[in-house]
Amino acid sequence: MSLVKCCFDAPEISDLVDTFIQKCTDPGCCCGCCSAFRPRYKRLVDNIFPVNPHDGLVKSNMEKLTFYSLSSPEKLDRIGEYLYQKAARDIYRKKYGFVIIAMEAMDQLLLACHAPTLNLFVESFLKMVQKLLESTEPELQILATQSFVKFANIEEDTPSYHRRYDFFVSKFSAMCHSGDEPEIRNKIRTAGIKGLQAVVRKTVSDDLVENIWEPVHMDKIVPSLLFNMQDSGFHIKDPGTTDITPEDTTDPPMLAETCMRELVGRASFGHIRAVLQPVLRHFDLHELWVPNQFAIHTFRIIMFSIQAQYSYTVVETLMAHLDENAKSSPTIRTNIAGVLSKIIAIAAGESVGPSVLEIINSLLSHLRDSVKVGASQTEEKQYQEALINALGEFANHLPDYQKIEIMMFIMSKIPYPLVDNQTPADNLLQSILLKSLLKVGTKYQTIHLNTTFPVSFLEPLLRMSLAPDPDMRLLVQKILHTLIDRHHNLEKLNKPIVYVADLELTMEKSSRPDLIFINKHGPTIYDALYTSLQIESNTTENIEAVYTTLALLCVELASAETVIDLLQLLLGIQSLALNSTSITSTQKFNLHALVISLLVLIPTVVSIEPLSDYANRIVNKRRAEAPQLLPEMMMHYPASAEPASKVPHLLVDQMAVCEYLRSGGIDPARLAQTSPYGAGGPGNLASAHRHSWMENGARGSIVELTSAHEVDSAASSPGVQRFFLVNPFQWAFSRSQIKIEKLPEEELTFESMKKVLSEPPEVRKEAEAERRKQISHTFRTATFSELVRRTQPKHEVLQNKLNEIFKSLSVTEQRASEEKLSEKPTYEQNFPELFFY
Amino acid sequence: MIMDDYKFLFKVVLVGNAGVGKTCLVRRFTQGLFPPGQGATIGVDFMIKTVDVGSEKVKLQIWDTAGQERFRSITQSYYRSAHALILVYDISCQPTFDCLPDWLREIEEYASSKVLRVLVGNKIDREDREIPTVVGEEFAERHNMYFLETSAKESDNVERLFMQIAEDLMKQARSRDLPRYDSNTTTIDGKTSTISDFSCCSK
Repeated sequence: MSLVKCCFDAPEISDLVDTFIQKCTDPGCCCGCCSAFRPRYKRLVDNIFPVNPHDGLVKSNMEKLTFYSLSSPEKLDRIGEYLYQKAARDIYRKKYGFVIIAMEAMDQLLLACHAPTLNLFVESFLKMVQKLLESTEPELQILATQSFVKFANIEEDTPSYHRRYDFFVSKFSAMCHSGDEPEIRNKIRTAGIKGLQAVVRKTVSDDLVENIWEPVHMDKIVPSLLFNMQDSGFHIKDPGTTDITPEDTTDPPMLAETCMRELVGRASFGHIRAVLQPVLRHFDLHELWVPNQFAIHTFRIIMFSIQAQYSYTVVETLMAHLDENAKSSPTIRTNIAGVLSKIIAIAAGESVGPSVLEIINSLLSHLRDSVKVGASQTEEKQYQEALINALGEFANHLPDYQKIEIMMFIMSKIPYPLVDNQTPADNLLQSILLKSLLKVGTKYQTIHLNTTFPVSFLEPLLRMSLAPDPDMRLLVQKILHTLIDRHHNLEKLNKPIVYVADLELTMEKSSRPDLIFINKHGPTIYDALYTSLQIESNTTENIEAVYTTLALLCVELASAETVIDLLQLLLGIQSLALNSTSITSTQKFNLHALVISLLVLIPTVVSIEPLSDYANRIVNKRRAEAPQLLPEMMMHYPASAEPASKVPHLLVDQMAVCEYLRSGGIDPARLAQTSPYGAGGPGNLASAHRHSWMENGARGSIVELTSAHEVDSAASSPGVQRFFLVNPFQWAFSRSQIKIEKLPEEELTFESMKKVLSEPPEVRKEAEAERRKQISHTFRTATFSELVRRTQPKHEVLQNKLNEIFKSLSVTEQRASEEKLSEKPTYEQNFPELFFY
Repeated sequence: MIMDDYKFLFKVVLVGNAGVGKTCLVRRFTQGLFPPGQGATIGVDFMIKTVDVGSEKVKLQIWDTAGQERFRSITQSYYRSAHALILVYDISCQPTFDCLPDWLREIEEYASSKVLRVLVGNKIDREDREIPTVVGEEFAERHNMYFLETSAKESDNVERLFMQIAEDLMKQARSRDLPRYDSNTTTIDGKTSTISDFSCCSK
């Protein structure tokens, strides 16, 4: 090549004589037969130029040149070089018409060339393009870009290691920022964007050429595109559009957007950050977070264009950016979180496994940080809201099984209210985490209650329902509402009401697993609700919320089996309202209203005609004589309102309920028993009474309850079930005493064994004696029917259990094992305690 | 004869606060104009000029960056491949001088460590000077930079500024004894050499 170079280095190429002389002095240029003449390719090139540039390319001569270059491709590089030199001179002389013709000729040659020879020509072609881009003439710059785009669309089969696109990226990016007169400006910007698009296309598919994902390029390309996108206002008008715009659009913002989609779409995992970092920086510097429409728009584009499996990386990066902005104003953070909540849903579908929890964890830790920083400012609150929204959005798009996981995860992050030394920040954190839990819960669609409430979730949740802060209790109830409500009755049961018929509740026969669930956990839940009703700081809202929970439970789990438990609870609540000295009279009225509303609801749901009539009679009587005992629940009752104890005939009577139940075809035997819920007596008998109850007979149950919590499988054992039913609310209370109450033998832990060994035998004997006394006392005082009942439900439950377990087994086998198993527990669970000694 | 016979190609980037006269300096040098009422540069602007240094032709690619903070991300990306950085301040505007340390920090962070750095106090035609020449000199000396005061309006020292840069860069390039590339392997841009920061595109 250098040979040719030095041959035609001469200034005036057109000067034939000069060239000739020069050539002849150079021995190296004896190129075949034509040494004496002007080379053929030069003549061919010269011929394509018309006399007058306005006439355009001389077509027939161009065809000759093309034919020549195809037949002797080895000349291509010289043709290219010569064309380039001509054009360079014409630019210098400002004869732009000829420059355009030269470029056109080069385009045609480029397209006509075959791949193997292309590389020779490309060098001069690109030099030409660069030359045109370097001129200040907008027209030439645009022309050069067009040629470059054509070049970029050609598939090369030989990589060109030494080719570099640095200049093009720099120049095209500069063009994207053109500040010329408006009409030229748009053209130049469009050209710049197209040029960038072309560079990306050219380089991205080939690993051997320049790595376009290097920050040095991305830092130019990405801000240039964004700068053009933000210039338009369309993202504000319609942030939802995701149409792919046609590529020939001349509108820079649209084009930039298309280019952005393409860029993001081509990014592989390792390159995403290279794209995202400049995006984030651009938003920071141009202050585009507030307001965040454009940011949302951009990130939606990114999310929709990015290869789906990488989409969570965007979320992570944005989250990391939130970290970096920890010191920024809350407004900025709120808006970033807002963007996050808008895009997080798109990522949710693709996130799996640890990345999900990672995202959740990160969101939660942002919440925690926010709580720590400054709790009271409204902006900070908005930020928290935005984060919670993001969390909700994210959860919304996860599969259900992951939602439960997330709820449990959030639950595990909540500091327990029962822990002492609480700071206000802890409180706030609790309520915020509960809010996020509520948000996630709202998105969850319960199918089976037992999958929704695993013990490890239900238990802490119920514990939270007894938190000292009424707002927090309310939140917990709301979480329960949204999780229990499967048939969208929540709206209808929001407030206590006695006209149930008007509600048009959606009901469905409850399924077997649900019944098993409520048999297993019902008492626990009822007890927690009962206990929460005793709390003095309850507001009307709290009581209403408990009503809703109970009503929903009743509707969702409508069955004869559950009715008794619910009625038992109602009677318990009524006596609480009558006898408690700690709660206010307003609360008492509210409780009565709650009782009557549920009493109306229950027989409607399960259709017990006589009981329904009875309930309505009470309602009517109360309306006439004591409206304060009916809903609506009020914050303040007139001072003249008579307490319920003065009008005993308006109360729900246990005997009457039993009677109507029986005539409705349900065996009320259990209800006839002493209610576990503080059966009469003075108000704060609650604890005293319970205590005695426990002394009387709950020992065994306590122990078993404990083991139920320690050994998961034990929770389903019939014995436990039985005691739950007998003693539905004692367990929570007794949990605090469990440590003392437990008999060491029952606990097969290392600790207990140690205790057995270390303690003097007297202690144990004493305890045993005490226990024996209690058991015999129970059996002495309890009626026969109660004893029967104690053993009764066990069989049902056992049956269920067995059905489940042995479903797959053959009938004979099942029968055999049934017999075996049902025999054994009866013997083991009931008698040993009585007859052990 | 013609423009394209350059021996060296150098990239020069102008930086400094908004409104110190970067664009005017470039315009004056490349086009011989002083456009009054020049608007703020958006992003980056690009100009080219070939100059003679001795008997050699040197092509200067001049990237004129926006001073505005919001374009910082795009402008910074241009530092990286620069051979020379011209840091401009306005001698009649103290704040533009006070920002110099910030600019230096940026340069440290984003530009090559061997980049040629020149401090320029522009607008010496103005009568309300706030920064005495000595102060500028001292600052430049302290930070190991060249120093020059110019006026784009009066065309004072503008030519000298760029010529000086061209000469210096050429000297640097020569002293490193860079190989002269064969004519036809001309690279598309100046940033070719992996051996050093200064490449020379010869022809």
